[in-house]
Amino acid sequence: MNRRFLLALATAACAILLAAAPHHSQAQAAQSAPAKTAAHKKPSAAAKPDPAPAAPVLISVNGVKDIDPQKATGNTSAPVTMEVFSDFQCPACKQLYTNTTNRVIENYVNTGKVYFVHRDFPLPMHAYSRVAASYSRAAAHIGKCDAVEHALFEKQAEWEATGKVKETVASVLTPVEMKKVQALVDAGTLEPLIEQDKKTGQLVPVNQTPTAILTARNGQSYPVVGFVSYDVLKTFLDQLIAQK
Amino acid sequence: MLQSAPFTARRIIIWIGRLVLAGIFIYAGYSKLFTPNLMLQSFFMFKFSISSNISNFGQQVRSYELLSESGVSFVSHVLPPAELVLGFLLLLGWRLRIWATIVTLILLGFISVVTRAYLLGMQIDCGCFGKPEPLTGVTVLRDGALLLLAVLMTVFAFQEARQPHPWNAASNPS
Repeated sequence: MNRRFLLALATAACAILLAAAPHHSQAQAAQSAPAKTAAHKKPSAAAKPDPAPAAPVLISVNGVKDIDPQKATGNTSAPVTMEVFSDFQCPACKQLYTNTTNRVIENYVNTGKVYFVHRDFPLPMHAYSRVAASYSRAAAHIGKCDAVEHALFEKQAEWEATGKVKETVASVLTPVEMKKVQALVDAGTLEPLIEQDKKTGQLVPVNQTPTAILTARNGQSYPVVGFVSYDVLKTFLDQLIAQK
Repeated sequence: MLQSAPFTARRIIIWIGRLVLAGIFIYAGYSKLFTPNLMLQSFFMFKFSISSNISNFGQQVRSYELLSESGVSFVSHVLPPAELVLGFLLLLGWRLRIWATIVTLILLGFISVVTRAYLLGMQIDCGCFGKPEPLTGVTVLRDGALLLLAVLMTVFAFQEARQPHPWNAASNPS
């Protein structure tokens, strides 16, 4: 009786293992190479659309490497590239965004003089800045970078106190957009891009946020640490743009 | 004949006050003016560095939410060089009563705004030095200790002027 029961149990276990093996190897392959899997996936009417886009491609502009084009704006042949390493929970970053960055984008990026790169540099001392960076990155990859960054900085004091980053992001997106953003955040496929920004910052090295790196067309880089007013930055940008 | 030792407790405290407060004021002024940015490739770069550092300090002043834009601009342009100059004047010891009084009043101002921000739970950088430093209870205690030292130094400096040490009195009969 006991032997028969054990035999039946072992047979059932073997059958389950054999049935599960192909699925397991497929899942492993999908985990190790998500982009490849996505690219080779056969279209199926029953399959749900994959929210994750193809593997993000990083570009180089004006000698500045590892730029996520979804987090950058402007003319790639602009004479000056401006990277801003910031943390969504840092008050000085909010001030830089509100008082300086917006005006630089309006007067220099939109006129083709500066190529602007948002770099994520979430500091470990801030509880929600990494989450905010993840949502911002995901939003950028569905073309909603500006709206989400604006909301995160504008409502910084609110979500800093409550931790409601997701709700802040949702307040400026449609439900469909939010679903896409949430899927990207949950999938974690964009996290390496945040890590890449952090690595790039550590090489500078970025010791505090915000830090802006201005790179002229001759390849020379100038770090500007801390908050800088638009008027002060303007004189410097004009000088760099005028350089041959 | 000399009636007392050259170093009384009063004179020791004046000396400690002068050295400690001069060091802190010189460092505070220097760090606000010359850090975090200092580019020396050209005079333009140097000027830009100083302007951006003042702008950065201005942001820290602004975060206390106490002053108008013109007030923020005035404080951010005047305070760092004033700290530097006052530090050197304390070191020199010339007209000590005047500079000690000014330093005490400045520290009184610092502790007032820092304590207010701390009690209001403001999550800001204290703006004490060039490097960002979160405003905490330690900041309040540190400013309190410096204020105490400044008050003692000022009071003793006035006492010293009224009742000069016998050695000083002997060397300055006027």
